[in-house]
Amino acid sequence: MPFNQAFALSSVTLAATAFSGLVLAQSVPFWLALPTAIILIISLLHAGGVLFLRRAMAQITDSPTLWNVLLIGAFVILLIDLTVVSRDLLPAGIHFLVVLLGIKLLTLQQRRDYRHLYVISLMAILASAALTTEAWYVPIFMLYLLTAVWTLLLYHLTQETSEISAAATLPGTVACRTTFPSRITYRFFWLTNGIVILTVALTLAIFFLIPRIGVGVLQKTSGEAVRTTGFSDRVDLGTIGSVKQNPQIVMRVELPDQSAGGKDRFYLRGLAYDQYNGRSWSHSGTRQRSLNLAADGTFLVRPPGSHPIDRPSETIRQDILLETLDTSVLFAAPFAELVSGEFHTVQADAMSGIHLPFPPSSRIRYSVTSQVPQLRANERTASTLAYPDSIRFHYLQVPMGLEQVADLAHRVTQRAATPFEQTQMIQQHLLENYRYSLESEVATLNHPLEEFLFTRKTGYCEHYATAMVVMLRTVGIPARLVTGFLATEWNEYGSYFTVRQRDAHAWVEVYFPHSGWITMDPTPTISAAVATSRWELLSRLAESVRLQWDRLFVHYSAKDQLAVVHGVREGSDAVRERMGRWVSSLGAPISQAFMRLTHMAQAFHSGMFGLITGTIVVGLSLVLLMLRDRIALWAVTHLLPKSLPQRAIVQLYTRMLRIVERHGVRKPPAATASEFARLVELEWKAAGPMVADVTAVYNQGRFSRAPLTQDDLSRVTEQLGQLQSLARSAP
Amino acid sequence: MSRRRSIRFTSEGTRFLLFTFGIGLAAINTGNNLFYLLLAMMLSLIVVSGLLSEHCLRRLEFHRHVPDLIMANEPATLTISVTNRNRHMPSFSLRMRDVVEGQEVDRGLAIHVLPPQSSRLLSYPLLGTKRGWIRFDGIVVQTLFPFGLFLKKGRYAIETHLLVSPPIKPLALRFVDELVNEGQGAALTRRGDGSQLYNLRLYQPGDDSRAIHWVTTARTSQLVVRETEAEDQRRITVVLSIVAPAECEPLFERSVTFVASLLWQLTERAHPVRLIVGTEDSGLGSGSAHLMAMLRVLALCKRQSPESGHLGQQGEHSPLTCEGGRAYTLAIVPWSDQATLTNPVQADRVLHATQLEELTHAF
Repeated sequence: MPFNQAFALSSVTLAATAFSGLVLAQSVPFWLALPTAIILIISLLHAGGVLFLRRAMAQITDSPTLWNVLLIGAFVILLIDLTVVSRDLLPAGIHFLVVLLGIKLLTLQQRRDYRHLYVISLMAILASAALTTEAWYVPIFMLYLLTAVWTLLLYHLTQETSEISAAATLPGTVACRTTFPSRITYRFFWLTNGIVILTVALTLAIFFLIPRIGVGVLQKTSGEAVRTTGFSDRVDLGTIGSVKQNPQIVMRVELPDQSAGGKDRFYLRGLAYDQYNGRSWSHSGTRQRSLNLAADGTFLVRPPGSHPIDRPSETIRQDILLETLDTSVLFAAPFAELVSGEFHTVQADAMSGIHLPFPPSSRIRYSVTSQVPQLRANERTASTLAYPDSIRFHYLQVPMGLEQVADLAHRVTQRAATPFEQTQMIQQHLLENYRYSLESEVATLNHPLEEFLFTRKTGYCEHYATAMVVMLRTVGIPARLVTGFLATEWNEYGSYFTVRQRDAHAWVEVYFPHSGWITMDPTPTISAAVATSRWELLSRLAESVRLQWDRLFVHYSAKDQLAVVHGVREGSDAVRERMGRWVSSLGAPISQAFMRLTHMAQAFHSGMFGLITGTIVVGLSLVLLMLRDRIALWAVTHLLPKSLPQRAIVQLYTRMLRIVERHGVRKPPAATASEFARLVELEWKAAGPMVADVTAVYNQGRFSRAPLTQDDLSRVTEQLGQLQSLARSAP
Repeated sequence: MSRRRSIRFTSEGTRFLLFTFGIGLAAINTGNNLFYLLLAMMLSLIVVSGLLSEHCLRRLEFHRHVPDLIMANEPATLTISVTNRNRHMPSFSLRMRDVVEGQEVDRGLAIHVLPPQSSRLLSYPLLGTKRGWIRFDGIVVQTLFPFGLFLKKGRYAIETHLLVSPPIKPLALRFVDELVNEGQGAALTRRGDGSQLYNLRLYQPGDDSRAIHWVTTARTSQLVVRETEAEDQRRITVVLSIVAPAECEPLFERSVTFVASLLWQLTERAHPVRLIVGTEDSGLGSGSAHLMAMLRVLALCKRQSPESGHLGQQGEHSPLTCEGGRAYTLAIVPWSDQATLTNPVQADRVLHATQLEELTHAF
């Protein structure tokens, strides 16, 4: 493909990519997206060399008046959009950008037009970055980067080619040039793609390294919050049913410490309710307390001053990415002990629900450590349980007129010997005698519980849970209703639970005085369709990519940068430790002996170890002092660049002067090097030949045109070594 | 070979940088990580630009090929060979500029692509406008590769000198003929047509059989031919006086050009010629090599001001005598001090300022 054609094609592709970003961000209305898309297709075909389009475009683009009118029209549309239609600067600006893009695509003639197109494209990709945090941005961004590199490269090369053509036509220009191949060659193709790969790698490196100093004061919200039900102060029976078929994702939950096994059901607790009025559930107390901030931005859910209760429990750590919901509730496995995230305040209610002060305006990420209580063995078999008054007061309340339900509860539990057996029998009764169905229209009924238990005998989680709580309470067992999510969709690619709106659930918490609140679920398990088809697997894979995108890019923060630094440091510590182990295994006998000596020294005197260390340091210093001449000689001959033999010989000669001076023969300032050599021969005869030799090489290096070789320098070094030995042995 | 780098933004590069700055501000202000991603992309494009342009300028070798001597105002061809010593990667979009006496000169030299381990030979015309040395300090090589955002320059120091001789101008044929016929031109003992014996030598295939010297042939039993001495060659010594005040500089330069042109004409006619300029003496000789030597002397001669006190330096070289007898001497005196010395040079013919003005007015 010729360069010019490739250049036009990549330019239009760049614009198309940026436009796709805007369309995917749902910021371009259909009436505008359609004509722009048509213009883009025409431009692509035109750039691709479709002949009839080329002629037609040439005719259209020859009318400047038309384009002036179009530009004025675009401004008018912007004003109308801003004042009447959108009434907001961002959408109106984006619409204007798209109109400009369309106009510019139709008027692409000069290089200036291409530059304008690039600016518009950059603005468009910037706008789509501002409007979304979705994972589709990844391919759009990558495509944009690819086309940007191609376009910039071709822009430069085509400009050079045109400059040369222009220079060649000028009279009197005689230039000798080698020309670039004017077509995209195989080598050029791979070279450019290599540059793209290099750019991508650098982009990622810079992205992760660039300091996050932004405070996000003007950070946008990520659009409309997901509407949830069942997490307000009052929940009408049957409201959860409205979302039970909604597949919208509400959160993703990772369990960093857990293996994949046994993760078929995972309860994410939201709120608990203790008051039932026959149609709806509510809280009896609305007091919220702010959680204490412990170290590292972690909030401690336990009240200040309290001690952890000694109960059998399982610790579960969860990393949760919560979508923008219309509730301020923070979901976690029961019961949260530690909460950490980028929050300023976290609150807790009396029934262990945790909240933010306000619903978050964007996706949030937080980590929770929960302690899931286990029922003690003695409470399984205890015939009676002594409940505290506060528990009895709050959690044994039943509305008036539920005698029929109470009769049923007593009938079901008449053969039970212990409260735990009563609980199990009620749960079993509900599991076995009622059918799960989302088609139950009991929300509008005056007595939904009785309808469920005695008439329709079909319902969903809220009915089951309400029935169990009420039945337990009528037999004197404290219980409460809990709403939250029951996660069942495990993503094996990303190792996390995907939680959707349809996973909204209600269950029961039963109180045992020593074990605490134990989770029980009377709702029959619905046989979830196992995702085995290729599309579902792909969808899970895509979902996993989305999570990684969100974690690594959208929510990458200064804290993560610090974590990476810590990780690297820990990694290097681990490597060092491993190396240390290896070295120690090699020198085990030596190190053992050394350890024994150290222990002996420590046993003998606490300062002995310091003394030994000090002695070693002093000894090493003395050795270095004694060998300083040798070291200096070695440094002069080995460390000085080979291209500077003159400097080396001067340093060596200076060293020789020092050695001779130490013996008492000092060089008079007026004496030349040769005169001094003769003087040495007179006063220190043994050193005469060595000094004469060094002086000869010195004279050669300083004053002769014949360059010094490495052999000369080596010879001088050798002579100096001998001179040193002589100086030491001399009296 | 020293290498220095400088970098300059192009207009596109400046705009690109401004956009990068703007996106950076937006990223810091909003804390939006996707803005940071775009910022990283733009920064990486800048970094890649720097890396690749550096790569294009690294490991290049330049060699300049210049003639020994060129004539002023005559176009000559100079050649630069560029070698890419990179093992794997080509160099792109290279533009070379000559550095002549500290000044960068664009000769329109460009290489779009130089494959690894390969060389390109670039030639360009050079017009020396005045005689003397031209010093080429080095070559500045620059590239806009890959994105045209920055112009990166690297300087390769390769010092080369080129000597420019005075231009050769056509002279009036009558003047040259007069000059040759005048005076005491002496036959030079050299081979040529004539009657006097010059030398005896062994017969070579192609020799004229009439030239065989039979007596010697009979005595030595080898074919020996007889060479004769040329009789029609005249020896001419040209003396150029370099003493002239500053206001005579144009005439002095024209005189130098006149001498060069005269030497050219005489050499063309195969006359043995000797040139004396100040303290420089070319010696007697003929042929193109001798002409080049004389032109080199003329290229480097410098006018001396009368105040410097070096009048009549050429006398030191005894210009009027030489081996083989006295040569015809022509003195070129662009300026003479009428008050002290009417004829500073002892010569058969002296061309003074007025005659030189007349002879060189068309130069």
